[in-house]
Amino acid sequence: CLWALRLPAGSGAAARGLDVASYRERVRAMFYHAYEHYLESAFPYDELRPLTCDGQDTWGSFSLTLIDALDTLLILGNASEFQRVVNVLQEGVDFDIDVNASVFETNIRVVGGLLSAHLLSRKAGVEVEAGWPCSGPLLRMAEEAARKLLPAFQTPTGMPYGTVNLLHGVNPGETPVTCTAGIGTFIVEFATLSHLTGDPVFEDVARKALKALWKNRSDIGLVGNHIDVVTAKWVAQDAGIGAGVDSYFEYLVKGAILLQDKELMSMFLEYNKAIKNYTKFDDWYLWVQMYKGTVSMPVFQSLEAYWPGLQSLIGDVDNAMRTFLNYYTVWKQFGGLPEFYNIPQGYTVDKREGYPLRPELIESAMYLYRATRDPTLLELGRDAVESIEKISKVDCGFATIKDLRDHRLDNRMESFFLAETIKYLYLLFDPDNFMHNDGSDFDVVVTPYGECVLNAGGYIFNTEAHPIDPAALHCCRKRKEEQWEVEDLLREFYSRKKTKKFTLKRAPDHGEGENAKDSEDASSVKAGEKRNSKKSSHSLLSCPSQSFNSKLAVLGQVFLDNT
Amino acid sequence: PGDAAAPRLRPRATLMARRPELLCGAAIVLCCAFLVALKVTCSRAKDVTMPAKLPVNFFSTRSPVIDLFRGQLDYADQLRQDSEIVLYFFYAPWCGQSIAAREEIEHVASRLSDQVLFVAINCWWNQGKCRKQKHFFYFPVIHLYHQSFGPIEYKGPMSAVYIEKFVRRVMTPLLYISSRSKLLDFLSNYEPGVVGFFEFNASPQPPGYLTFFTSALHSLKKDYLGTIRFGVVTDKRVAEEISLVHSGSVYLHRHANTSLIYPEDIMNFTAENICKWALENREMLIRWLRPHGGKSLLLNNELKKGPALLIFIPYNPLAEMHPLLDEITKVALEYHKCNKSQAAEPDLQHIGDSDSPAFDSSITDTHLKFSETFPISKYPCCNTVVLPQWHSISRTHNVCELCVNQTLGVKPNKVHVPHCNFLEIEAALDSFYLQEHTFFQVISNTIECSNFFSFYSPFSYYTACCRTVNRHFLSFIGSEKTIFQTPKVAFSSHGKKGNTQFSIPHIEDRNCFIPDLNISSTNITGLSCKTNKTLNLYLLDSNLFWIYAERLGASRSTHPKEFAAIVDLEEEVHYVLDQNQSLVGPTLEDFIKNFSVLYSPLKRHLVNDPSIPFHEEHVVTEVTTNTFHETVFLSAKNVLLLYYAQWCGFCASLNHIFIQLARLLPPDSFTVARIDVTRNDLPWEFMTDRLPTILFFPHQRKEQSVKFPEDFSVNLPNLLKFILLHSSLSSSEPCNQGPVKECLHKESVLQQGHISHLEREIQKLRSEISALHQAHDQLEAQLSEARREEQRLQQQKHTLEKQHKILQFHSEQLKATYDQKNQELLEMAEKLQELADASENLLKENALLRILVTSREGKLQSKDEIKEPLQSDQTLSEDNDISLSTATTALEEKRIDNIDTIDTEHSSGNRTE
Repeated sequence: CLWALRLPAGSGAAARGLDVASYRERVRAMFYHAYEHYLESAFPYDELRPLTCDGQDTWGSFSLTLIDALDTLLILGNASEFQRVVNVLQEGVDFDIDVNASVFETNIRVVGGLLSAHLLSRKAGVEVEAGWPCSGPLLRMAEEAARKLLPAFQTPTGMPYGTVNLLHGVNPGETPVTCTAGIGTFIVEFATLSHLTGDPVFEDVARKALKALWKNRSDIGLVGNHIDVVTAKWVAQDAGIGAGVDSYFEYLVKGAILLQDKELMSMFLEYNKAIKNYTKFDDWYLWVQMYKGTVSMPVFQSLEAYWPGLQSLIGDVDNAMRTFLNYYTVWKQFGGLPEFYNIPQGYTVDKREGYPLRPELIESAMYLYRATRDPTLLELGRDAVESIEKISKVDCGFATIKDLRDHRLDNRMESFFLAETIKYLYLLFDPDNFMHNDGSDFDVVVTPYGECVLNAGGYIFNTEAHPIDPAALHCCRKRKEEQWEVEDLLREFYSRKKTKKFTLKRAPDHGEGENAKDSEDASSVKAGEKRNSKKSSHSLLSCPSQSFNSKLAVLGQVFLDNT
Repeated sequence: PGDAAAPRLRPRATLMARRPELLCGAAIVLCCAFLVALKVTCSRAKDVTMPAKLPVNFFSTRSPVIDLFRGQLDYADQLRQDSEIVLYFFYAPWCGQSIAAREEIEHVASRLSDQVLFVAINCWWNQGKCRKQKHFFYFPVIHLYHQSFGPIEYKGPMSAVYIEKFVRRVMTPLLYISSRSKLLDFLSNYEPGVVGFFEFNASPQPPGYLTFFTSALHSLKKDYLGTIRFGVVTDKRVAEEISLVHSGSVYLHRHANTSLIYPEDIMNFTAENICKWALENREMLIRWLRPHGGKSLLLNNELKKGPALLIFIPYNPLAEMHPLLDEITKVALEYHKCNKSQAAEPDLQHIGDSDSPAFDSSITDTHLKFSETFPISKYPCCNTVVLPQWHSISRTHNVCELCVNQTLGVKPNKVHVPHCNFLEIEAALDSFYLQEHTFFQVISNTIECSNFFSFYSPFSYYTACCRTVNRHFLSFIGSEKTIFQTPKVAFSSHGKKGNTQFSIPHIEDRNCFIPDLNISSTNITGLSCKTNKTLNLYLLDSNLFWIYAERLGASRSTHPKEFAAIVDLEEEVHYVLDQNQSLVGPTLEDFIKNFSVLYSPLKRHLVNDPSIPFHEEHVVTEVTTNTFHETVFLSAKNVLLLYYAQWCGFCASLNHIFIQLARLLPPDSFTVARIDVTRNDLPWEFMTDRLPTILFFPHQRKEQSVKFPEDFSVNLPNLLKFILLHSSLSSSEPCNQGPVKECLHKESVLQQGHISHLEREIQKLRSEISALHQAHDQLEAQLSEARREEQRLQQQKHTLEKQHKILQFHSEQLKATYDQKNQELLEMAEKLQELADASENLLKENALLRILVTSREGKLQSKDEIKEPLQSDQTLSEDNDISLSTATTALEEKRIDNIDTIDTEHSSGNRTE
């Protein structure tokens, strides 16, 4: 096997323990170095160009880096700057512009960023209006941005176009080919929007798109890379977990957690089975042909590194750790993750040697550190801080690494560097951050809809690392009905004689009562569920508890299953 | 051409007139092309790249390490020629591990710089020689050279002491053994030793010595932990101790098995072969585990072999003496010594020297006294049972000695069986457990015995004698006399009932380690062969791998960092040596013994999360292993318990529901609690395999816990119904009987609860109302603003409408002029047509005239030839000619004009196209 040949040396430093606090401060300094130069040289453009010290618009023209970095400010504890930026955005950002924007990117970065900023604004000391969290200026902005994206969903299949003009809707002659992730990466933001605003249209389009993908999966249960949203024909038939597909799987899981939705989870579990069967080799995940399951590309992509983190969320910590350790060896070889890494050759792939300071591996490290407290994960954090500082720090910020073989730099700093990379690094080194709240702290907010418990932890990070508080989804819509029911039940507690017989309500297929429109589709999901339940009768919305040997599965030790 | 051009022109003009958007489209295409061009120029600016920064010093210039930060591998190789021992440190400047190891290397270099050359080479810089020649998958890489031998890669921990030790072994791979005592020292070590005997008196270097030396170096290459040590003996008399007679023979020492001599007749005497032979045949009584930090199956492979005793001790590889390690080695040797006859080997006696005899005797003392004080122990077949106890605070135990008596009945044969029959003891235990409650409340310091009959055989009866003993019995060997002072033996008949309230399962007893009360006075000598629960013994350096100990339940604050645990991967249990006892040979022996006996008194260790303070008030009570029993079983409330794990997404998103629930339920009769089961082990029967799991323990019927059904969604109403459903029984029944006063009291308490709940509700509603008011005000403000906005918009609309009208008027005017122009254009076209026709006619005329002229000329010529006179005629014709030519030139000019205009017409048409 591949990894056994590459024994990394030593763990002396790990055992003695990293100085977590000092690394945390270094991450903070990195943030401000980049953030201040963005404000100084690039604002109001989307991104900073660190080599030329100026700005450029990349994904639209909405000061993207600022929106993206907003919640990072609060996570770093800078409430005053958060408040200032909220005001700047309210005045300065306009979505009525004649710009062709990527539906996917606008959703995850702009809608997601504004939603999380909206939900965090009370914690940041921003004066919120009385209807918060069900109304507020940032929420309105998010809703406006999301509405601009809705025309893209008007296709025969319900799967959205990849690009939309914010002013005119879908351009005539727009290509109908969209990547899988561009279709299935809406449910977290859109369901949150629907729950907060009360307008179900967002969640509905997101669900419809998810179902269309589910219906078009291959016989062996895989999805390809790109699909024609009009004819529902697969254009790129490579199946894997990386670029083009990644956040689709991520959102199935996160949507299931956020909405307590069994249907989404059963979809994911089916995919997971197929992925394990066809693409997993020696804890690597390769690319295969979606209909035949034959290996098409034996590469590891930088974007795939989110997978261990996702696995840890559903309790597959052992496998997650093993895959993570594979990926970590690639980092050790180059000081970053190349976009493509040829696994058999053990080297980068031509034209794909760059590392745009992506967060995925660090993200996984953060999730896994929560689960295992393994010092190896802190080591990755240390390596990331050292690498990024040594290699990509320039006078005006942090530059994308154009080529990991010689560490040549490119004139770009993507907005996810501040939104994700820095955030996850900081959270890795700050185990007491409020983002890691395990439910021992919470806030009680009085809204016109009733009392609401918020900030009780369990934040769901969208794929651009914008946290969504799952409790907020239960604050606005439907709150009243549930309260009356609860009140009735409580009366029973104090009454002498129990008169009523109580029967538990069976869980609906998915949270929001929207009946399955596509009956064939729904039945296929049910069939999947049944297949699951035959094997193990447990609820889909649960994790397996960890095995005994997980106690010792730290510092690189992995255990094989007994089976 | 004019003829063709004009009709083509017309339809296009009309086409354009009808579809102005086509014009726009063209404009957009043009614009796009322009933009693309712009983008190309822009992206040229985007293509700004920057080469990587030039390498700089990695080590400080004052450091004893030579830093070749430009990766000059060739220079490094030059340097190597001058030094006997060289250490190469290949690093990448961005690598965290290299940075962390830098200090360690510097530390080693400062200690060994006079004997070893330390060279650090930047093997990342892509202009450097090193990067071009070497291809590493990780950094740093340490290579050692002993003269020309090398590279020997160091793969141990990146810690200065370990590196230094390894470098020292590369410096002196062979230990010179000069005397008998040194030989004994060398052989008594727990790590396998290879001794070569070479007589140096014959020649300057005896044959084979160099091979042996190289094989020692070779073993360092293969076995980077350096567990096999190589020694050389030159004295014949010393060599005789290990029965080596011939110079050049090699001896592998083994403790438990017979030692070996290198079979030269079978294998060639080469360095590789010797090394291989030693590696294959070495004996691993006790092994160091040093996980390298990368992905590895080391623990998996070792622990899958069977139960393992992991001993954590702080280890300094450079230290001369390791007294603790020696003691552990002794235990390991004893444990593995299956054949007593082998004890005659010299080294074992040597080890025996270091024993403290006083200690030994005290142990046997214990057993002696014990058997004295326990009068029952003379029975042939006994077993000690420790009764489970819930109070972890209590320092005492009820210990029973259970013996099988077969005085009655017929014995089928007379063969005396020295050991107990497994089945017999098992049956006895079964019977005993059934009667167990009898022994619960034992008055301390007296031994109380009872006899009871077996349920399986009427011919045998069992005797159980119980007493209460102090918990940390073995650690107070001195005070043990007082415990067993004047034991009063009082037999009580079977069936004497004490308090039988508790009927608690056995396994979940949460007391750490129960000292060995086993009556069988066997020591552990050769135990590994006698028991079917053989332990593998492992050592871990607690300086490096303390985290494993913490995972197994070692407390974080323990000092020194010593810890021992038996891990049984297959059974998924582990046992821990009581941390209050010091880790010494005898306690370790007892630990092993207790594990090995049938009905082991060891209790499965339950790891408890120490980070949660014992009693901190939270809305949702946080339960740990230690507080589990107290919170769930001893409290008089209904308990709703959530099993969760911090990493499980499905659990974390339920936090807010449980907080709401806890705030709603009356706190004096309900506890909402949760337990993080990744950090808190629970007794088997309370374990769960899925998370989240919700259990409800109704008060008064705690043993009848109910599980929240998995296929229902977890939300507030469902949880309330679930609780109501299962707590209803207790509160609905009692008022029918019993005194009225109590009933009334209960009622009033209940109502008071209700009142306070309603008060809270009212408060909530009040705040809600105020929130609504606020929202109302806000809406009002927004509405008025919207109205103002609307008004403003209306005004704007008016002005816009006006402007619109003006524009419409303008457009009409424009249309009229456009029509007019169009008409003119058509007229022009007609005129042009006429002109074209005219020119055509003219051309025809021209052609005719030419023919005429030529024919005339022909005639004239023929006339000239024939008749010279008739001059007057000639002049006339000349005149004619001139007039003709002027006419043709005029015609020609006209034609050219005509074509020009057509051309211009054409080009203008093109432009509009």
